[in-house]
Amino acid sequence: MGGAIGLLLIWGGAKVPWEKEMTREQRKATYGFSGPTAVAIREKVGQGLALAALGGFRGLAANALMLQAHGAWEEQQWMRVRSSLELATVLQPRVAVFWDTASWHLAWNAAVAAEKYGGEPNETRRRIEARRWVEAGRDLLERGTKAVPEKAILFQRLGDLYWQRLGDYQAAADCYRLALAKGDAPPYLERFVGYALDKAGDSRGALEYFRGLRKTMGNPPDPARRPEVVEREILRLEKKLDEGKIGASQ
Amino acid sequence: MSSCFRRIFAVAGNTFLEAVRQKVFAVLLLFGLVMVVGANYFTEFSFQEQFKFLKDLGYAAISLTGLLVGLLGAAQLIPGEIERRTILTALSRPLRRWEFVVGKYFGLTSLLAVMVGIMALAVWGVLKWKEVQLLGSEGTDPAVVAAIRAESMDPRLIQAVLLVGVKLAVVAALAVFFSTIATSTTFVIAMTLVVYLIGHLQSVAREQWLETGEAAGWGVRIFLAAVALLIPDFNLYNLIDEIVAGNAVAWRTTIEVIGYSAVYTSILLAAAALAFEGRDI
Amino acid sequence: MTSAVRTQGLRKEFPLGWFRGRVLALESLEMEVKRGEVFGLLGPNGSGKSTAMKLILGLLRPTAGNAEVCGYRAGTISARRQIGFLPENPYFPTFLSGAELVRYYGKLSGMGGARLEARVVELLELVRLGGEAGKRSLRTYSKGMLQRAGLAGALVGDPEILMLDEPTAGVDPAGSREIRDLILELKARGKTVIFSSHLLEQVEDVADRVIILHRGQKLREGRLEELLTKKSEWEVKVHGLKEDGRKELRAWLENRGAQVMREGAPRDRLEDYFLRSLPEEKRR
Repeated sequence: MGGAIGLLLIWGGAKVPWEKEMTREQRKATYGFSGPTAVAIREKVGQGLALAALGGFRGLAANALMLQAHGAWEEQQWMRVRSSLELATVLQPRVAVFWDTASWHLAWNAAVAAEKYGGEPNETRRRIEARRWVEAGRDLLERGTKAVPEKAILFQRLGDLYWQRLGDYQAAADCYRLALAKGDAPPYLERFVGYALDKAGDSRGALEYFRGLRKTMGNPPDPARRPEVVEREILRLEKKLDEGKIGASQ
Repeated sequence: MSSCFRRIFAVAGNTFLEAVRQKVFAVLLLFGLVMVVGANYFTEFSFQEQFKFLKDLGYAAISLTGLLVGLLGAAQLIPGEIERRTILTALSRPLRRWEFVVGKYFGLTSLLAVMVGIMALAVWGVLKWKEVQLLGSEGTDPAVVAAIRAESMDPRLIQAVLLVGVKLAVVAALAVFFSTIATSTTFVIAMTLVVYLIGHLQSVAREQWLETGEAAGWGVRIFLAAVALLIPDFNLYNLIDEIVAGNAVAWRTTIEVIGYSAVYTSILLAAAALAFEGRDI
Repeated sequence: MTSAVRTQGLRKEFPLGWFRGRVLALESLEMEVKRGEVFGLLGPNGSGKSTAMKLILGLLRPTAGNAEVCGYRAGTISARRQIGFLPENPYFPTFLSGAELVRYYGKLSGMGGARLEARVVELLELVRLGGEAGKRSLRTYSKGMLQRAGLAGALVGDPEILMLDEPTAGVDPAGSREIRDLILELKARGKTVIFSSHLLEQVEDVADRVIILHRGQKLREGRLEELLTKKSEWEVKVHGLKEDGRKELRAWLENRGAQVMREGAPRDRLEDYFLRSLPEEKRR
């Protein structure tokens, strides 16, 4: 018995540095989301116990919350939609599709419902309320991009949100640029940076962006990257800027 | 040497046979399979979410049934044989006590391996089935087809199954260790479960112990050190969550965790054999 | 030639649990069993019989003293290779059949292959569980059949010594007779048999020598006829003596200074009566 405990203690002395190193490497690869994260000890214990108690069921619990959110959405219970979604992303922050679905529910579905809400006759108040939902969706996505920083999808969604829901085209262009830096962005996204710059009023920047894009396409250009669309866009912007010059000189 | 292996295999084979001829393990397997197949009927989600749901449920089914089988099986191993007194006839044979312990462990792990294998095949079948369903309903856009295929036949799932398997193997070794010092089946189940739960907090205790320095009192530091030194770090297996979430996990990392499990298992078995050697039966 | 089993100052204490002291199960046992002998360990329950056996097998570690089996230290592989053990009220893995049980014990003894298969068949024949009976699950066996299956299992490694703990406890008269016959058959084959019993009359028929234990201490040791013979008494069993003859005999005895302690028609033992009532083919 004493021998057994002695053996376990000696091994314990050897394993602790090994575990420490493996944990460090795993945290590096998963952006700190593997196991209890860097929070106060009491919260760590809580997280660890939840992890252990949920065991293999953390994913299931998160899925159940997503189902709950889906049900609440059908009943237009927006506060419940929000709390279920946020809890799901807390349980499994490394699942990109959760952040994606969650922000879509808040910034699109809930916001549109708030705009049309019959119980509030004052249009300004309805708009303010809708804007609050959109911003909640944006905040969620920004947290998502920190939790899953190695994938393009959430940066792309954030760009879409700035464009379609907030009208902040400059921010949208920045987000698309970040998404393109990830490597797994869809090929059409590279043109969206240019469109967004143009929409933001920076037609000059957009034109330079498209010209730069044309240079990276090689010769003959890769047809999957739609060189004819880029060409058309360059012509359109050149024409627009010329007109602008004429307008300015007159 | 060959008769040594023969004796170990005899114990392992008998342990495996005993479990197979008991209904409770068949019922647990059936329960796991129902869970896996039932997952296919949740279709409220987008297709990425449907696949994630299937994988989560499959993983949950494998870990839950595996944990139950490991606990129940290990409790029966040595305390069960002592209660039924079948151990007297076995240990009065010309067989070394460590051979008995190792044989019992191999019997239990082969049972676990068979169950994990069957359930992993079931998960694979359900994913394939879902793929066929979705290809029928989501149309033929090549990008969508490729995305569905990538989700359903993700080779990373092999890493996940391996990691679940070695995690269960460590739990089984813990249970065998406790069963060599225990007098009752309840003790084995309770202790294994407690260590399993604390194992998910071990990294917290370890970091506190290594980082607090002189700040904490002696009592606290000894407690933290004991947890860090004596209990395995089960959070290392959280890689499984990463894989199920669809994120890449390097094979190198997977193999390192498997190696850690193998060394840990050997040490636990050696400790079990040491503890069992001097024990009165 | 070394003795089959020899113990010197063998002592065993069991801890009762934390802070509750220890209980003495066996005190300084000196015992020697010669090869080819049938040896009985007698005594009431709790007298230390099973403890002594488990110490000899190495299932328990002695608190003090030592035991040797055919010259090997007790508990070593070589020592255990010499012994086949049948514990008290054995519980066998009931999910096995009789043949599987014997095969399993053979493999545990390091045997295998065709040699083991032949041995399984031979032993099941010996304990009269051959053919269909050996293929049935142990769950369907009677107590006597289980005991015989256990005996076959104990014999599988062809040990020098058979150690049987309460082999006839809970077995019906016909069953215990079968076990006693088997013990004698094993003795005839040159095996040493050590058995324990609290039913003292069963021992008379088979044991060459016995030790009587009580509360862990040895009370008596010796050859059974020496221990049981009352040298100051004499017994005559006669057939056909009439009433006047009896009177004359009594007078003659009293004349000689002898004191008549008991007189009358002897009674049969119920067990023998039962066995005589069975039809001829079932007796053996």
